[in-house]
Amino acid sequence: MRCAWKELLDILPRWMITDVDALGRSSLQELRLRLDAPPELVSCDSVQRLGRQVSSEDLSYCVNAASRYSPWAAATIAQGFLTVSGGHRIGLCGEAVLKNKEITGIRKVTSLCIRVARDFPGIGSSAAGLRGSMLILGAPGRGKTTLLRDIARQISEKSTVAVVDERGEIFPSGFVRGDRMDVLTGVPKAGGVEMVLRTMGPEWIAVDEITAEEDCRSLLQAQGCGVRLLATAHAGSLDEFRVRPIYKALLDNHVFDYLLILHSDKSYGTERIHTWNSGGLERF
Amino acid sequence: MEFRWLGAILIVAGCGGYGFSLAARHRQKERALSDLVRALERMECELQYHLTPLPELCRMASTDTNGMLHRIFLSLSRELELRVMPDAASCMRSVITRFSISSRELRLILSELGESLGRFDLPGQVKGLEAVRRKCFGELEALARNRNERLRCYQTLGLCTGAALVILFI
Repeated sequence: MRCAWKELLDILPRWMITDVDALGRSSLQELRLRLDAPPELVSCDSVQRLGRQVSSEDLSYCVNAASRYSPWAAATIAQGFLTVSGGHRIGLCGEAVLKNKEITGIRKVTSLCIRVARDFPGIGSSAAGLRGSMLILGAPGRGKTTLLRDIARQISEKSTVAVVDERGEIFPSGFVRGDRMDVLTGVPKAGGVEMVLRTMGPEWIAVDEITAEEDCRSLLQAQGCGVRLLATAHAGSLDEFRVRPIYKALLDNHVFDYLLILHSDKSYGTERIHTWNSGGLERF
Repeated sequence: MEFRWLGAILIVAGCGGYGFSLAARHRQKERALSDLVRALERMECELQYHLTPLPELCRMASTDTNGMLHRIFLSLSRELELRVMPDAASCMRSVITRFSISSRELRLILSELGESLGRFDLPGQVKGLEAVRRKCFGELEALARNRNERLRCYQTLGLCTGAALVILFI
């Protein structure tokens, strides 16, 4: 297991570092900081709280340290998150600023959710051998990105893989990339898929968290170009995935051949999709 | 007798020197403000086209400026890299207190610059810098008003005060 732990500690207020280091080095998944509440350390099987309360200066420090005092430089702030060096993601909550009905930033941050990025080389070995497009499904925090990262890395030992890493958290600096892998960072998924398709000639395209209609459209377009796809989406099961209307086109057009469903213990099951319409699945 | 003349010369030179130093300080303030305007213009461009992070931005500003401003921006850049303070405004405040800036106006402008840094949205950040730049222009205009007369006045007044003291004492 690899983790850019020092990068994570670097963005925390000084008073928190020792405790977080002692309690969370091996298993911390999330660190939740809420204004006037004690920091919450969430691990696989436990939630621990520190004694002191978080102040607005602490929250401000985290955001500024993570963005090098340049929150405006992170185009993702308006989407409510920041990616820190090492791939850790900070989700922000607070008073948003709207301009022309669009969020331009966050005026006052009241909560932060720092998700620790960890790399587990080898976890995707069984899935990497599958010959067909794969969709990884899982609830938040179950390790979709971690699995995607490893599968993409293993596939890239034999095939060319283009990774569209919109948030810079699939392959942040310090994480080992695959041999035949090209990573496009900071570009929205829809435009990024089209870009790598045109310019990099990939055999596989990997994208994380397809959440919008344009993401689905770009995957449909890529599918018609003879490229295999590796993607993740928020859903606990195929049924949950089906409920969301934006994914209908993906289902109707048989974009994916395999489903990898992550369980709460972070293991995953592989299912082959015969026909989306009848929902026929073959379990492995 | 010789001592009297020596004393007279010293008094006139001292008062005249003070007048000249006032004029020099005036010119120095003008130069610092012009430097600051140039640095702010570059910061705005860098922000809009390269989204340069603040520590680098301050380092660039330090190369655009001379003297104390150069040292202030360099120090601010280091302070930001060290990530000790919760926000950019606190970093600037800490830097300002470390340097004894004689000009009150310059001190205020730098504080305002510190307050404007580290905003969440880019247009807001650029507007903040623009506001500081406008303030610099206002100060520069005020300094440029009757500039030559005022500088001559400082120098002449210094010399005249010295002469008057000499007449009084001798």
